[in-house]
Amino acid sequence: MDSWFKENIDYSVIGMVVLLLVISVASVYSATYDAGASVYFHRQLIWGCIGLLLMFSIMLIPFRTLQLLSYPLYGLSITVLLVVLVAGKVVAGSKSWFGIGGLGLQPSEMVKITTVLALAYYLSQRHVNLSRFKHVATTFGIVLLPVVLILAQPDMGTAIIYIGMLLIILYWAGASNFLLLTLLAPGATVIATLFGTTAFVIVLILTATVIFLLKENRLLSAFVFSLTVLMGMSVQFLFGRLAPHQQKRILIFLNPDADPLGAGYNVMQSKIAIGSGGLFGKGYLQGSQTQLNFLPAQWTDFIYCVPSEEFGFFGAFTILLLLTLLMARGVQIASLVKNRYASIVAIGVVSAFAVHTVINIGMAMGIMPVIGVPLPFMSYGGSNMLTNMMMAGLLLNMYANRKEY
Amino acid sequence: MNDGLEQFPRKRIFLAVIGIVFTIFLGRLLQLQLLYQDVYGKKSEENSIRPIARDPIRGLIFDRHGELLVDNHPSYTVTITPSEFRLSNLEYLASVLRLDTAFIKERIRKGKLYNRFAPIKVKRDIDFPTLSILEENRDKLPGVDYQIESKRFYPTKAKGAHLFGYTKEISDQQLTELTGEYRPGDNIGATGLEAGYERDLRGKKGYEFITVNAKGQMLGAYNDGKNDIPVKEGNDLYLAIDEGVQAMAESLLANRRGAVVAIDPDDGGVIALVSKPDYDLTDFGGGTSPEVWNAVNTDSTHPLFNRATLTRYPPGSTFKMVLASAALQEGVINENWRVQCTGLFHYGTKIFKDHGTHGSTNVVEAIQRSCNVFFYQLMLKTGFERWTDYGEAFGFGQTTGIDILEETSGLLPSEEYFDRVYGKGKWTQGYLVSLAIGQGEVGVSPLQMACYAAALGNRGFYRKPHVVEKIRDKETGQFQIIVPESRRIDLSDHTWDLIQSGMYKCVNEPGGTALTARVPGIAVAGKTGTAQNPHGKDHAWFIGYAPADHPKIAICVLVENAGFGGVVSAPIAGMCIEQYLYGHLIRNNSLESIIAHTPQTPDE
Repeated sequence: MDSWFKENIDYSVIGMVVLLLVISVASVYSATYDAGASVYFHRQLIWGCIGLLLMFSIMLIPFRTLQLLSYPLYGLSITVLLVVLVAGKVVAGSKSWFGIGGLGLQPSEMVKITTVLALAYYLSQRHVNLSRFKHVATTFGIVLLPVVLILAQPDMGTAIIYIGMLLIILYWAGASNFLLLTLLAPGATVIATLFGTTAFVIVLILTATVIFLLKENRLLSAFVFSLTVLMGMSVQFLFGRLAPHQQKRILIFLNPDADPLGAGYNVMQSKIAIGSGGLFGKGYLQGSQTQLNFLPAQWTDFIYCVPSEEFGFFGAFTILLLLTLLMARGVQIASLVKNRYASIVAIGVVSAFAVHTVINIGMAMGIMPVIGVPLPFMSYGGSNMLTNMMMAGLLLNMYANRKEY
Repeated sequence: MNDGLEQFPRKRIFLAVIGIVFTIFLGRLLQLQLLYQDVYGKKSEENSIRPIARDPIRGLIFDRHGELLVDNHPSYTVTITPSEFRLSNLEYLASVLRLDTAFIKERIRKGKLYNRFAPIKVKRDIDFPTLSILEENRDKLPGVDYQIESKRFYPTKAKGAHLFGYTKEISDQQLTELTGEYRPGDNIGATGLEAGYERDLRGKKGYEFITVNAKGQMLGAYNDGKNDIPVKEGNDLYLAIDEGVQAMAESLLANRRGAVVAIDPDDGGVIALVSKPDYDLTDFGGGTSPEVWNAVNTDSTHPLFNRATLTRYPPGSTFKMVLASAALQEGVINENWRVQCTGLFHYGTKIFKDHGTHGSTNVVEAIQRSCNVFFYQLMLKTGFERWTDYGEAFGFGQTTGIDILEETSGLLPSEEYFDRVYGKGKWTQGYLVSLAIGQGEVGVSPLQMACYAAALGNRGFYRKPHVVEKIRDKETGQFQIIVPESRRIDLSDHTWDLIQSGMYKCVNEPGGTALTARVPGIAVAGKTGTAQNPHGKDHAWFIGYAPADHPKIAICVLVENAGFGGVVSAPIAGMCIEQYLYGHLIRNNSLESIIAHTPQTPDE
């Protein structure tokens, strides 16, 4: 038995997760500190402990069982999303919560896991070939079904995350560079167009260059390029038709600095918090930004500011490093497992961590638009915490079963 | 090291991308925290800008003549800033404010969750002596302050408890649902127009941006207040209500239980809407004391209940015009069809009594004298389905869509309804006999009855009733005019002539049951009704409109436990009509003397 533990448990993942948890609980304590510990602190502590238990339980689920449960779990979770739409509780304008005995549960978080499992199951089947349109379409369908239900809640941030995860998983599963470009280029053009004509032209030139380098069938290349141009131009056309206040809203979303007292207020305060931390920080519970509540809800979406201010660069860097190493370890596990299903599950977990981390920390540092998504293992919140811990459990499970074919 | 499966050749690309993103983020961290640490450090020390919310003043409410009905007066609200408050002062403060210490503690706890540097409202509408005590002890009570807020004030005799409604402090439930617009301690419309037009009346909070230092102390306005977002005051409501009629109806119903609803048949504007007994809105304007709330809430006469829109009583004989229009319009009978009324009606083994012996009666006389035997027979001849269809056309069994939120749809029985309640085939035509004279299961509200009276008066134009006629935007000064929805109840002119003639005679010719509704110089048309009440004296209804040829006002009066409709309800309606059409009372008589000096014919 001892040797089983030695052989099959990835202690590096566990170590990184536990370290992140400790920093999280300490940050929530500080963010909501008020002459003692707050309810948030106690709850986060409890969620963390439940999360650890869940992580270990998921690690111990027999590999085949997990594989066979992929589709049924996905079906169950879609049903739950439907139920939430009909009977859920409205929190912050979004109908995405279940009330269970005073504690709220947000199913769209958990559905990330089941969607990853379903995708992995589908993509690991021998006959599935990502150069065939039918199979790419099915892959999209698996992800778009929950996305549509989540958008109906409506919860924009979570929907964006699913799309990001899908692209990463598709690429890992063998989608061609050309397919990735086809999916990315129109989106990039749309955003570039909103920044101005120069950005639009640069993205077009980049797209053309990559298409040229990929040496794909000429007709197809021409089609993708025209689609990209068309998307950019139609956005320009539509944007001109919007009312001035709607135009303003989109521009502020892309560049919060333009509105320092409205949408930009949070970003400005967040940058001040991080920047003023300096090399060593202002000391635990001493951060003026944190302790004077300049940031609303800094224990959720802006949690990264708290250790960045109070522990300075060392705090901010430690978290960034831990999350990066966790992802890198995930990629490594995904490539050393023998089973294709296991590999895609592992990369699915990595993709979820990656998209959340990039959007959240990018937002806090003012280099991403403000989209309210939690930072993995750090932000306050039960559903989010449990989901991340279960995902870590999946990573451990894949590692433990790395020799399974 | 095992490089894994060949089917995943992209490990290196993935690791490279992770490395690149890590490097970008690391670069940004170094830029923010090391390169610009001076800049941000200074900003955080001077820091910084804090938005302070300013509450808007609620919109005013005017009547149709521009008379101010609901005004604002200043009131003082005590606030506590949790970060500065000393718990050692808790007992003292509680005794000054006459509050429970636990209550204040709970308030502070809630306020902290939002922002412990922002003042939280603890008690509204304190009196002047309390204010002076707080002012004297300012230095000893850090963190305790007061704000000047506005509270509602009702300058005219029209008190409109159920009409205007009251505001109350927002609940936790509402706070989670209406995120962003409200904070704990804010007031929100709870009933009547205050609730129905909350969005308009409320206005929009303004924000002052002030600078505070790193200890949270205020330093002054940020950027000389140039960035402040001004408060947007609440919009004013202009009602169809006539203050004189509203006040008159309220005084006539004083010490009674019942309701008056008057409507302008031309556009559906509500001229008066009264429910009695009521309560004093000024008790609810600032902070409602628990004693007042408990007293009103547990009162056995239910003063909080809006009898004008929520009552569901049988309409009695006032409903006979529904059956008459169905029968005439569908060609079941014409004006020459007569019934010999002997005062009794036999159906099966049962005997239904009339309140008199009317002899040979046609439809006009049956309405005038409220002959039950005529309508018993007419119901069996016309049939249930047609009765239900026409009841529906006149707006029964459904809500009217009035702009006050609380309203009942009442109950209009149908064959399906009886099948559901009694079971298919388990009810007989005998059940219809009661419905014929507006008794039994059918339930209506005074509001529905006023709309019905308006539709009878203007020959089928059914307008959706509405209290508010226009809304004045406080910023632009522009009026938004509310255009009422309308529909047509399509009956032939001949049918309308007969029905209206019956209602005219009911008030104006000997043998009519509503002679007490007459007003000198004005032709009133109407109909009385009595709702049987198994628990006590019957409820009295009257519906009518005036002037009969081109009605300007349609009215419904309900007085609970008052006996026949003609006794009390009809003269109340008459006096309201008089007030509305003359602008004042031309008769010098009190309600009691009008009742005493008019001959009466009972109905049932």
